[in-house]
Amino acid sequence: MSNSNVPSKFDVVVVGAGPAGSSAAYLLAKAGFKVLIVERGRGAGTKELYGGKIYAPPLREVWPNLDKEAPIHRWVTTERLSFVWKGRVTTLDFKLGRRVAFTTYLTEMAKWMADKAVEAGAVLVDEVRVDEIITEGGKVIGIRSGPDKLYADIVVDAEGVNRILLEKLGLAEKINPDTVALGVKEVINVGKKAIEERLLLTENEGMAWLLMGDITQGIPGGGFIYTMKDTIALGLVLHIGKAYEAAKSGALKDTVPMMLEKLRVHPYFSRIWRDADVLEYGAHMTIEGGLRYMPKKLYMNGLVVVGDAAGLLLNTGYTIRGVDFAVYSGKLAAEAIIKAFENGGPTEENLSLYEHMLKQSFVYKELVKHSGIVKMMEDPTFFTKLPAIVNGMMGKLFEADYEEPTVLEALLESFREEEMSLTRFLLKMFSVVSRL
Amino acid sequence: MSGEVKGLRPIKIEDLLQRTVYDVDEEPHIEIIDERGVPKELVKLCPCSCYSMVGERLLYSYEGCLECGLCRVLSEPWGLRWEYPKSGRGVQYRFT
Amino acid sequence: MRIVVGIKWVPNTQAVRFDPKTGTLIRAGVPSIVNPHDFPAIELALRLRDNYGGEVIAISMAPPGAIQGLEHVLGMGADKAVLLTDRKFAGADTLATSYVLAKGIEKISREIGPVDLAIFGHETIDSSTAHIGAQVASWLGWPYVYYVRDAKLVGDGVIRALRQTEKAVEEYDIKLPAVLATAIKALKPRPVRLSYKLRAKLEKPIIIWTNDDLGLDPRCTGLKGSPTIVANITWMPEVPRKKIVYKPKDPRDAARWILRQLFTDEAVAPFLRKALWGEE
Repeated sequence: MSNSNVPSKFDVVVVGAGPAGSSAAYLLAKAGFKVLIVERGRGAGTKELYGGKIYAPPLREVWPNLDKEAPIHRWVTTERLSFVWKGRVTTLDFKLGRRVAFTTYLTEMAKWMADKAVEAGAVLVDEVRVDEIITEGGKVIGIRSGPDKLYADIVVDAEGVNRILLEKLGLAEKINPDTVALGVKEVINVGKKAIEERLLLTENEGMAWLLMGDITQGIPGGGFIYTMKDTIALGLVLHIGKAYEAAKSGALKDTVPMMLEKLRVHPYFSRIWRDADVLEYGAHMTIEGGLRYMPKKLYMNGLVVVGDAAGLLLNTGYTIRGVDFAVYSGKLAAEAIIKAFENGGPTEENLSLYEHMLKQSFVYKELVKHSGIVKMMEDPTFFTKLPAIVNGMMGKLFEADYEEPTVLEALLESFREEEMSLTRFLLKMFSVVSRL
Repeated sequence: MSGEVKGLRPIKIEDLLQRTVYDVDEEPHIEIIDERGVPKELVKLCPCSCYSMVGERLLYSYEGCLECGLCRVLSEPWGLRWEYPKSGRGVQYRFT
Repeated sequence: MRIVVGIKWVPNTQAVRFDPKTGTLIRAGVPSIVNPHDFPAIELALRLRDNYGGEVIAISMAPPGAIQGLEHVLGMGADKAVLLTDRKFAGADTLATSYVLAKGIEKISREIGPVDLAIFGHETIDSSTAHIGAQVASWLGWPYVYYVRDAKLVGDGVIRALRQTEKAVEEYDIKLPAVLATAIKALKPRPVRLSYKLRAKLEKPIIIWTNDDLGLDPRCTGLKGSPTIVANITWMPEVPRKKIVYKPKDPRDAARWILRQLFTDEAVAPFLRKALWGEE
């Protein structure tokens, strides 16, 4: 550092003021560590894209006053899952018995989390891109940004899904397109009253609505609708490896923005935002296969990896969990770092506790438990046949002019139409269910 | 009801990107080094339609970039220089 | 050399949208940025300091939100920043703004050390008046050169400002103290640096002066000190435009194609013929 009055070393340097970085920074600053968070965006949150559902319990372990203080938009009281096929839509609607998750924009939430870390004593430097994690003799000793180096006893890598630093460091390989998905999203200003009236919600009640079917044009993935206070987040998630194959073979008709547009103007869904306008459009990469995305090691001498960079995201098709996993990994990293310092410092051996704690935690267990469904998510049977069969059957049951088929007849007929045998389908589903 | 129904109206990608805030850097943060290492499929897949074919050439304009990293994942490291913008510039999400 | 550089904290006009229903600009939720045309001024100030020593002080008259912008400039390497903020300054036109800025510069000269040079950007993206540099120079009674692309010290207390016009490069030697305004995109700004930004966050070298500190007559500041009256704003009707995408084989083909379009357009061709060949 060029200026003598400014420290050239911190106890902890956190790269990235996202949920994982800020929770680690908050807990470490509270424990008395000198913590610096370096964030590339203009303030925390400006590069975040997730307007969705966040599970509260893991966050409450870090911020017990979460419910009162955090920028929560609505508590999810209704979950919907829709199968969309050629103009037909079949929807499962579940009214929750209790409130476990809330909706919010991660831009706001990440800012709140970073503010908490700063209140606890961490220093946040924004508008600064970290270019490299620097090592010396196999030990991480700090970071470099442009010509500036800054040293730390330990670096917490919370750089997010595009793990450029980890790749440079050799801790992660180049991202495999089959392990990531592209999320695109629009924010639509529907208005508080209209959201509540049109989606049968009362004040503060929210909805998480996932869609699957031909809206992704055969690409594994799906659509989502989340209700915020007075806006709606509408988007698509697309498996990148399969989307690339589809584009290459010519099977993909539309550009990605066109696919989202088709969902926005879909005659069934668009009635929800019929008189509204799009306020913002964004895109972000997300993790498709959590465990496959995970680097071989989540720690080394002087370094721990948390959040998306560590592959800690679960996408089951009916639910996406990333923010709470990130926060929880930040918490475990902070606890492991505190322990490591009590035991002589952040050596590789002492930091292995982090990975151990993570593997014992619900985060890793969830990722292992649901690895089957993650595989299934890549199966076109699931994405094209299931919505087609469900809607085919419903059509036969309810669109008959004179003679209605029995449920079994309708089911068998819709299987025949999709050239799929019921037994094969059931076997497939069974093999998947057994892995769930 | 009278008048146009906005929710049903298609929006051109240029107009859509106008709704997102950028502080565009003078210096591009992404650059095609060798076209052979950058797939043409990005014309369809890039969420901000930053890639386009002009004749046989694949062109990239960084101004509307949403910094998702898709093109980095699909390109060869020698084909594309991909960095985040400096000094807090680039896309400035307000909601999402 | 002590250099003051003027900064305006402006709404990011790219994000300001027009509401066709009400005919007003939608500014709500639009984040502010450092006026892009101020960056050549900041860069010139930093280069002069790097070459000749001294310090760069960023100055802005703005609500407290502008601290974020001043931190950005500190992150680029400015040494200090002064924020002139007071409700009494609100609603100012360029005259009242330049008055407060000039008084701020005088106060810097008295309390921090004599100011040798004040540099401003060409204009702001939200009002495009290009007044401030000239007005501050008038209040201070200092010489002023604008459209400056570069500058260097020549001899004792004399700065040579380089101006580029369409056909010539002009060099002005002026005695310090002086005011310069840079041309748009004259110099490429340096990025924010970790060490400088960290210093800005830790040492907080931003001095805040309210009107109590400046002691200005409230009749000369803010709305009261602003003789400018915006009588009316008329929005230009949107002209429907035809959009054609043509993919040329090479530049020659592109030029041919454009000419063919222009000369076959009934609305444009007569004007072109008249302008080029005097044909009626």
